[in-house]
Amino acid sequence: MKLKNRILAGALTVGVCFAAAATTYADDIRVGITMRMVSENGQAYGQMMMDEIKGINEAGGINGHMIKATLMNDECKSDKGVANANKLVFQEKVHLLIGSSCSSVTLPIVDVTAKAGVPQLVPHSTNSKITQKGSEWVFRVPVSGRYYGGVNAKYVGENIGTKIAYICAADAASVGDCANMEKQMKARFGVEPAYRADVQEKEVDFRAHMQKIKSMKVDGILVAALAETMARALVQSYEAGIGEDVRRIGSSSASNAPVPKIAGDAAKGVFFTAAYAAADQRPIAKLFNEMVKARYGIHAPDHDFSQAYDLVRIMEIALKNTALTGSLADDRTAIRDAIANVKGYEGLASGPISFCAAATPQCRDGNRTAVLIGYTKGGEDFETEVLARVTMEEDFGLE
Amino acid sequence: MGFDLNSFLAFIIFGVTIGVVYGIVALGISLIYSGLDIVHFAHGEMYMFGAFFGLVLADNVGLPYPVALVGAMIITAIVGMSVERVFYRRLTRAGGGYTVAGMGMIICGFGMSVAMVNVAYFIWGAEAEPFRANLDYIPRLQFPGDIEVPESYVLTAIISVILMIGLHYFLRYTKPGLAVRAVAHNKDIAYLMGINVPLMISLIFGVACALAAAAGVLIGPMQSVQVEMGYLMLMKAFAAAVVGGFGSLPGAIIGGIMVGVFENLGAAYISASHKDIYAFLLLILVLMVKPSGLFGVEAKVKA
Repeated sequence: MKLKNRILAGALTVGVCFAAAATTYADDIRVGITMRMVSENGQAYGQMMMDEIKGINEAGGINGHMIKATLMNDECKSDKGVANANKLVFQEKVHLLIGSSCSSVTLPIVDVTAKAGVPQLVPHSTNSKITQKGSEWVFRVPVSGRYYGGVNAKYVGENIGTKIAYICAADAASVGDCANMEKQMKARFGVEPAYRADVQEKEVDFRAHMQKIKSMKVDGILVAALAETMARALVQSYEAGIGEDVRRIGSSSASNAPVPKIAGDAAKGVFFTAAYAAADQRPIAKLFNEMVKARYGIHAPDHDFSQAYDLVRIMEIALKNTALTGSLADDRTAIRDAIANVKGYEGLASGPISFCAAATPQCRDGNRTAVLIGYTKGGEDFETEVLARVTMEEDFGLE
Repeated sequence: MGFDLNSFLAFIIFGVTIGVVYGIVALGISLIYSGLDIVHFAHGEMYMFGAFFGLVLADNVGLPYPVALVGAMIITAIVGMSVERVFYRRLTRAGGGYTVAGMGMIICGFGMSVAMVNVAYFIWGAEAEPFRANLDYIPRLQFPGDIEVPESYVLTAIISVILMIGLHYFLRYTKPGLAVRAVAHNKDIAYLMGINVPLMISLIFGVACALAAAAGVLIGPMQSVQVEMGYLMLMKAFAAAVVGGFGSLPGAIIGGIMVGVFENLGAAYISASHKDIYAFLLLILVLMVKPSGLFGVEAKVKA
């Protein structure tokens, strides 16, 4: 009798434990975020995502489930990004992974999520290879570099000239931006770069290049680099005596606030393609600008902010359309399918964002509309203007 | 890229301007080495701190650039002397050089480097900060063949030459300089001669850190200022010091200029993507031909 009671009590305890675990599991939707948060802006957009998720929870959550978000900083370092992704996927057992900001970090994370079968929403990375890996789990919210390259090349060739010097930093996004621009300039106008220099990711001294470029009398200089590196190159281009008549073309990271802040007057006249312009006159954009300024003290949010915001909204839509079962693997698959069903989302982005089921770049590069932006003033209180808005064909830039 | 004489000259000129900055930092490293037989691995962070001090004095306090430069040198010298007094003194007193304490000193230098980087992150954050110096009063140098040297590079060259002459004068023609040289030659004998050895060691650290600060403030307007700027400069300055002959002060300057020119020419004619390799290629080449460096002595023997 005693033994029977003990067995019953044990079974009851185990049952209660399992039930508790199952309840906890069913209650929370676990979301892992890994992003570059080394700068003031990085910390602000990371915080903004957490605040938006908190807002969803305070409004009742998603179909009664709370979102439990874990935010991690990968510092734009691929080893840290992969470590974060592994921790989030295998230890935290997240339903959805968001990350990362830098293409060089996102590229290896795609392999982690593909292997583990976890849906991944990419907030900022532009390198076109991210969606060309063929993972059925990855979705890109920002504009792919292949579209940026086409828009840049068209504008440059038709308005500036075809004798272009390229300065390409070694980070994955810049390598991709340079390659896409070069490819499109060749395809559209049949020209090769007048000069091309591959520099290190955090290069500090561009003087030798600028001196060479100056002697070549080019029409424009493409600087494809991360924000701080780009700012240095812009400043040094003027120091080398290259005049304003030679137009400076930025890669997509020219959108980041450190560029005008560090480059100062050297940022004026620089133009670039991005997914969002703070100079956007739509009411939603104005409200967003005011919100970011009021909450985080950011003078003018760049597309890293808008994409982070749009991503949370897309995630919210997808999760609302997901029927959670309690099985982690099934729920991950259901969330993936729900994201693939997001069509024509119109938020802050330069164009509507749509995904579909096939594991192809056509389906997984959600935003095909790039906006061409120019700096009209540099420094802390920089100003921009919208030069053009261009939507590309979904298979543009693919072989 | 085909050969063009004007471009070639431009690369050499720009190589010299960055080379003298390497040389100034290398000078500090060599000074500490010749005085204490230790390699100071936190010297890159002194350079970074100096740049930030200069930035704060120029941007926040509103001092003119030359005054900010001098101010940053003084503050960094005080920081360097404090670090030496508080953290390094027990180890340097125990011998330094090729001793257990010397090994401890190297590790302590690494630790100090990490600590200083983290302190800097805490104070100034990770973002690069622009250093906008008003240098309108400095003329741009024009060379034949449309070679134009910007104001900041001209100023760098001028200040570097002044610092080198100043250091030479200090070491050769002043009593404290003589005492520093005596300590560098042999601490024990210097002590018996009545020289305040600990004070001179502090002075060596102060001067070396002030030189690093000057380099940081000079490079700031060209490359902006950020917490991670010290590491690469330290590597280049080490290369310069070794090429010139570790412990040799003229060698540090010549080594710095050689590294700057070699790296610029390598970037221009071979590949700019791997620019940082050239400094170390030069280092290997020089060491293969003359293991003690260009101006170094074969072995440093203490009495």
